[in-house]
Amino acid sequence: MVSRILTLGGHDFTSRPPDRAVSELMLRLATERAGKRPKICILPTASGDTSEQIGRFYAAFGERPCEPSDLSLFRLGRRPMALRDHLLSQDLIYVGGGSMVNLLAVWEAHDLSAILSLAWRQGIVLAGQSAGAMCWFESGITKSSGKPEIEAGLGLLHGSLCVHYNNEPERRAAYLEAVSNGMPSGYGLDDYAGLLWEGEGPPSAVTARRGARAYRVTSSDTGVVESPLPARFLPAPAPAALREDIAEFRRIKSMRKRAGWLG
Amino acid sequence: METAPRQIVAFGGGGFSMESGNPLLDEYVLGLCRRERPKVCFLPSASGDADHYVVRFYRAFPAERCEASHISLFRREQGPEDLRTHLLSQDLIYVGGGSVVSLLGVWRAHGIDQILREAWEAGVVLCGLSAGSLCWFEEAVTGFHGAPQRVEGLGLLPFSNCVHYEPTSERRLAYHAMLRAGMRPGYAAEDSAGLHFIGCELSRVVASRPAARGYRLDAAGDRVIEMRLATTYLGDAPPVTRLPGATSSSLSATSAA
Repeated sequence: MVSRILTLGGHDFTSRPPDRAVSELMLRLATERAGKRPKICILPTASGDTSEQIGRFYAAFGERPCEPSDLSLFRLGRRPMALRDHLLSQDLIYVGGGSMVNLLAVWEAHDLSAILSLAWRQGIVLAGQSAGAMCWFESGITKSSGKPEIEAGLGLLHGSLCVHYNNEPERRAAYLEAVSNGMPSGYGLDDYAGLLWEGEGPPSAVTARRGARAYRVTSSDTGVVESPLPARFLPAPAPAALREDIAEFRRIKSMRKRAGWLG
Repeated sequence: METAPRQIVAFGGGGFSMESGNPLLDEYVLGLCRRERPKVCFLPSASGDADHYVVRFYRAFPAERCEASHISLFRREQGPEDLRTHLLSQDLIYVGGGSVVSLLGVWRAHGIDQILREAWEAGVVLCGLSAGSLCWFEEAVTGFHGAPQRVEGLGLLPFSNCVHYEPTSERRLAYHAMLRAGMRPGYAAEDSAGLHFIGCELSRVVASRPAARGYRLDAAGDRVIEMRLATTYLGDAPPVTRLPGATSSSLSATSAA
């Protein structure tokens, strides 16, 4: 199974079309790996395991054909879990946003970094947004301490990443400066733009909102160059309410069929 | 300039986090401050900076009684920019419960471990419960992540520590096993009991329930020596008089397996 990582510049788990489009892509990637109803786990570590982030994740995936779960390292006291076994049994591991510094520090303290590398090598899809996207690269630009700063990631992906590229000019400026000063070149991702990494090849760009772009950011003799990448648009699936209506209609139809009401 | 003593009060459990309506331990640590209205900073890192926990802290430490603040290491953009200046200006730093492993990871990432040592040396009173107790010691027993395991704390106190030390707890047995296997001697506290260290010496054991106790633990060969320590119940008398350091005469040894 080829190793895959989906890195996103920023998104949420609301019912708005671009968010639904992102969730749908994750579900598709997880289902491709599982070949059946996939297991999808959120690691909300970067947020401090907030109920809000976990709740939104379940709201997005709870009614979809998958088994969602959360691994909350700060809540293990109330709900002990076997970290390694749980993570390695997943089809997709999603990492939420928050503090990149804390994310990596807490993972290190729990020996999660090695487990996640292993999961990746086993073909478990890794995904994440913001801090949860930058963590897979050699380095990123974090605001974990307030001001934008360079932070080293796990290095599963070569180069660097800067997220919220369109929304946070000071983060983008810090990134461009860092790359011109020798930080490994990499990518800038707007909110709702993403990069899908498959195997060793270059990533393919996706976008869930018109106008949201992914950029290749490289250093050259004349300065830092930002080149927008051609991106595949991700359509939003039907909203949950509509899907429920359709499912309900089908249930009623099959019941009627069984009861001999329909031909 | 008069130098303030280094002080740590390590609760086995208790305070506003666990004993709603019983402020005895929290009042005790406030009473150690040298100011009428002390500056108190809450570090909820071990809980992942849980909002509800921060709210409970501010309810328990109202503005009439003290000047309360907190530092959320998951939302640095909201808090004081210079962590060191803020922490060193406090009279009391109060560390909440949760995951001690995560706590130490996050602290080290932000350099809080070094700042807390400085604060302690400068006379800022350090206290906390559960993970907020274990963190001050050289070695500790955490039971937060399933089976009890050994963790290395900040090492301000050159002992081992075990919290929630109830007679039938799994932690107690695990601590004894670790002591037999060579863990350094140390102290344990039941819920509602606090170990008050001045410098690296245990000064006294205080409690917010009459029956709560602290213990001194040591291993002699294959035998664990568990000494039940004389404990001052804080509900009987105003917690102002400081007792001399605990000596062997103030300890009552009980049997140990």
